[in-house]
Amino acid sequence: MTLLARDPRAPFALTSPVMPLERRARGYDWLLIGTALVLSLIGAVLVWAATRDLLRAQGGNPEGFLYRHLFNLAIAAVLMVVVSRFDARLLRLFGPIVYIVSLLGLVAVSVVGSTVNGAHAWIRLGGGFQLQPSEFMKLGLIVGMAVLFAQRSAGRDDDEPPSTLDVLMAMALIAVPLALIMLQPDLGSAMVLAAAAFGVLIAAGVRARWTIGLLILTVVVAVLAVKGGLLADYQLERFSSFTHPGQDTQGAAYNVTQAHIAIANGGLFGTGLFDGPQTNGGFVPEQRTDFVFSVAGEEFGLVGGAVLIGLYAVLCWRSLRIAADADRAGRLVAVGIVCWIAFQAFQNIGMNLGLTPITGLPLPFVSYGGSSMFAQGLAIGLLQAVRRRASR
Amino acid sequence: VANGRRNGPGARRLTIVVVLVASMMLTLAGRLYYVQLLDPNKPVQTAGRLHDGTIVVPAPRGQIVDARGRVLVANTSMQVLTVNRETLQALPDQGTAVIGRLATLLRTTPALLAKEITPCSPRVPAPCWTGQPYQPVPVATNTSTAVALAVSEHREHFPGVALQTVTQPSYPNGTLAAHLLGYTGEVTAADKKATPVLTDADTIGRSGLQAQYDTVLRGTDGKQVVQLTPQGTVAADTAGGNVPAVQGDTLVTSIDADVQKLAEMSLARQIADSRAKGKLATSGAVVVMDPNTGRVIASASYPTYNPQEFIGGISKADYGALTAPGAGDPLLSRAIAGQYAPGSTFKLITASSLVAHNEISLGSSYACPGSLAIDGRVKTNYDSESFGRPLSLQDALGYSCDTFFYAPTAAEYYADQARIAAGQKPTEYLQKTAASFGVGRAPNIDLPADEQAAGSYADRETRRARWLANKAQYCAAAKRGFPDEPNPAQRAYRTALAAENCTDGWRYRAGDNADMAIGQGETTMSPLQLALAYSAMLNGGRIFAPTLGWAVVDGAGKVVRTIKPTVRNTVPVQRSVLNYIADSLQFSRGWAVSGAFAYIGSPVQSLIGGKTGTAEVFGRQDTSWLASWGPLSRDAKGDPHAKFVVVGMVEQAGTGATAAGPMLKRIYDGLLGVGGPAVIPGSRPETSLPKIAPQVRVMSRPAAPRPAARGDAPHPDAMPTRAVRAGASR
Repeated sequence: MTLLARDPRAPFALTSPVMPLERRARGYDWLLIGTALVLSLIGAVLVWAATRDLLRAQGGNPEGFLYRHLFNLAIAAVLMVVVSRFDARLLRLFGPIVYIVSLLGLVAVSVVGSTVNGAHAWIRLGGGFQLQPSEFMKLGLIVGMAVLFAQRSAGRDDDEPPSTLDVLMAMALIAVPLALIMLQPDLGSAMVLAAAAFGVLIAAGVRARWTIGLLILTVVVAVLAVKGGLLADYQLERFSSFTHPGQDTQGAAYNVTQAHIAIANGGLFGTGLFDGPQTNGGFVPEQRTDFVFSVAGEEFGLVGGAVLIGLYAVLCWRSLRIAADADRAGRLVAVGIVCWIAFQAFQNIGMNLGLTPITGLPLPFVSYGGSSMFAQGLAIGLLQAVRRRASR
Repeated sequence: VANGRRNGPGARRLTIVVVLVASMMLTLAGRLYYVQLLDPNKPVQTAGRLHDGTIVVPAPRGQIVDARGRVLVANTSMQVLTVNRETLQALPDQGTAVIGRLATLLRTTPALLAKEITPCSPRVPAPCWTGQPYQPVPVATNTSTAVALAVSEHREHFPGVALQTVTQPSYPNGTLAAHLLGYTGEVTAADKKATPVLTDADTIGRSGLQAQYDTVLRGTDGKQVVQLTPQGTVAADTAGGNVPAVQGDTLVTSIDADVQKLAEMSLARQIADSRAKGKLATSGAVVVMDPNTGRVIASASYPTYNPQEFIGGISKADYGALTAPGAGDPLLSRAIAGQYAPGSTFKLITASSLVAHNEISLGSSYACPGSLAIDGRVKTNYDSESFGRPLSLQDALGYSCDTFFYAPTAAEYYADQARIAAGQKPTEYLQKTAASFGVGRAPNIDLPADEQAAGSYADRETRRARWLANKAQYCAAAKRGFPDEPNPAQRAYRTALAAENCTDGWRYRAGDNADMAIGQGETTMSPLQLALAYSAMLNGGRIFAPTLGWAVVDGAGKVVRTIKPTVRNTVPVQRSVLNYIADSLQFSRGWAVSGAFAYIGSPVQSLIGGKTGTAEVFGRQDTSWLASWGPLSRDAKGDPHAKFVVVGMVEQAGTGATAAGPMLKRIYDGLLGVGGPAVIPGSRPETSLPKIAPQVRVMSRPAAPRPAARGDAPHPDAMPTRAVRAGASR
């Protein structure tokens, strides 16, 4: 037996590897893990369906993206397990580090990053691997804010709202990464970041005047950004194609139109796996990433789409349960993660359904993409760590 | 503890989040239900539907031929090497080996070749393929026989690689008449906007006759319709909508290829000779025209370029070499678009004006001192040569005395100043005569407007207008000096000039009028304009809008349009005066005519006349001119006539007699058959149109003739663009 196993409060406290399975499994929310896993596996099938014909036409391996998606999932699972073993009380120690490291990633992107689809958001790692630091920043900001509010309110009554200074410090934490991401420019990630931060602010119990004020500020900034040319041309184009979808059937609205055709023709039960003509024909651009929901809509129909939405509901329900049981810091983390996942899923499925404007965002757990998958694995792991701490 | 937390104030705040999340999920579910089941206007399934794609079959351009029907611009079949990406991708190694072999063959790198055949997209920067993904990508135009053989003999090594034959304009005589014929380029977006029938697959004339007669030479594109699968691959060639391309019409020109060759050769040789004598001889030009019809027979400019370089897109390196500061501007047609001080050749106009307005008389003689002070400035003859005796106009022209012309033109100036003082308008006879001879106005030849120089002269009004526009600039320059100028003499001169311009730049002086009298100062003309002026001297005063085009002949060999020079105006000078001037400059007068020096003893000396010019350009060596005509003949009335007017100019080459004189002698020897047969039958311009054989129908060819966009393509005109436009949906 090692010393590490005896003292669970020690830093880096890992449970002994010889601990009985039943004890090691204690405290995990298996329903949450199962939901995330099912979503990811559905994602694997959808990514496969979206890419196999195209890969075959190009003479490549039709299962290429399937394997890569599963590989990403495996790494994400490992990350989840490792993070879930952390003691959630150590957040105080790790929170600032996570935040700063994520921020450094964003800074690095502006220096050595490469541009994909108009956003300067990627760091090439060599060997065809790329990292998108803004994905990790979502988690970094949630953890950073949670630690900030927990620290500042230590010893205070839980009912007492955070002070003005607390809120201003939190705003500073939000503003820096938000500005960096807007500069990339990656509007989608910025919106998710704002949504997650907003969730944390609500959960921290800031006064209503702050939350309402921030909402008004957001609207004003958004209006100014559109009028004042702060947004990149392609972003404005996406917005205008959202408001006037018939205008340009070849350019920005093309994605929406094609996704709409695919989903609308899915009907109740869909065309069946691998039988979606719109998907197989490669009509929907970016289908394995931003428009992966259209595969579900076409090939599995309303039933498939509803199952996906239902799974997100379950995921959020389990996470909110964890939030309800957690201590202050853990609750803020859990709520932040819920807001992140829920908003991103809403925004992504919404744009597939022509409900929200196009912003380059992956569907959590489902879309192909390493960085987002890893970040979500870390998030699920963190939720587990929070839960394990609460149930101890 | 757990229960306590669950009911605490923190937990209550979660309710807000729960409501938000639940409403988002419900919204999505509702929208999904609507889109998939309720929406009455469901979008129609498009997958699996074939659509038409149109491949433009570019029409071969029409030919340009010379006055005897010899081809100046032809069409050649070119072997274009294409790569089919779909075939390569299906190979086990995705075509890596084929690309490697092909790169070795084409002397490029596999990486670059692979980039060139990848379709362009936001993620694929140049170099990339700008055409449709389903088209084979051209990777090499004008493929050499060695490459073509290597590919066709070893088909098994080059799957997906094919040779296609395309037609492109070609210049079989290389640089011959390059400036007249002009070059072609690829169609740009601006061209398509201006001329909607143009497509990316077409070639458009960019300069010279290629540009001027583009609509005639262009032809009518054909098209081939193919069916495309949703993925953009060709499913079937549908013969239904196919339209064959119709080649452009043939342009017959008045250019004589042999005379053109002779003119260019003589010009190049003179430049070499002058350089051997230590002159800079940077550039030169020759114009040969028919003074009786206004047709241009030859026009040479040195340095020149090869329009063939522009075919299929000029490379950045080649274009850079043509436009480099040290290259001497080979794209400029100096004979027509260049304007230079004409020097003493301008005395035709001065003499005409002075006699026509009774400022000198043909029966009198006037002094020709070595120098003359006008307005306090001493003006000298060339080399301060002086004649102790008064000269007749005939001798003043022959010996080319400058001071002879200074006195009457200065007198004209003072008379005008007196008129102005009296509140009258100045007569400015010299300027008006110059204008009637076509100085200061584009010659209106059938070439693009920006390829013909108007020439210039100074008068009171333009002087003042320019001063008003530039006064501030002159004064600032005078104040600042020219600190960047390394040469102190130049610096002092330019500063003094700026100071004078600042205060007195509006003033038109007697000296300016005297300068104009001898074709100096602000007087400039193009060699073509000078040829037109001397043509007027020999044809009764008619100033032509000259032409290069003679006729347009359609594919059946039928003349559909004849192009004739028009007479723009007649100079207000009596025929007898023009005859007097022409007779004064006959080379038969021997040493009394400066232009005759090179021709003394030639068997054709008595058949030629001409006026030399030695124009001084500040900071440069003299420009050498000769404006000449021949062979001379007389009609029943005794009026002199000539079959050709030949104007030659060599920049920085010395006097007219030493450079332009010998240069044009070689041309006359060829025209008149001295020391060999005449290069032009009968030593006279061609008078009847050549027979043009009906075109052989070029079979339409459904392929893209453009090379893939290379990253270094410089000129928007030369940028290879996509050759095919897809039809309906994506």
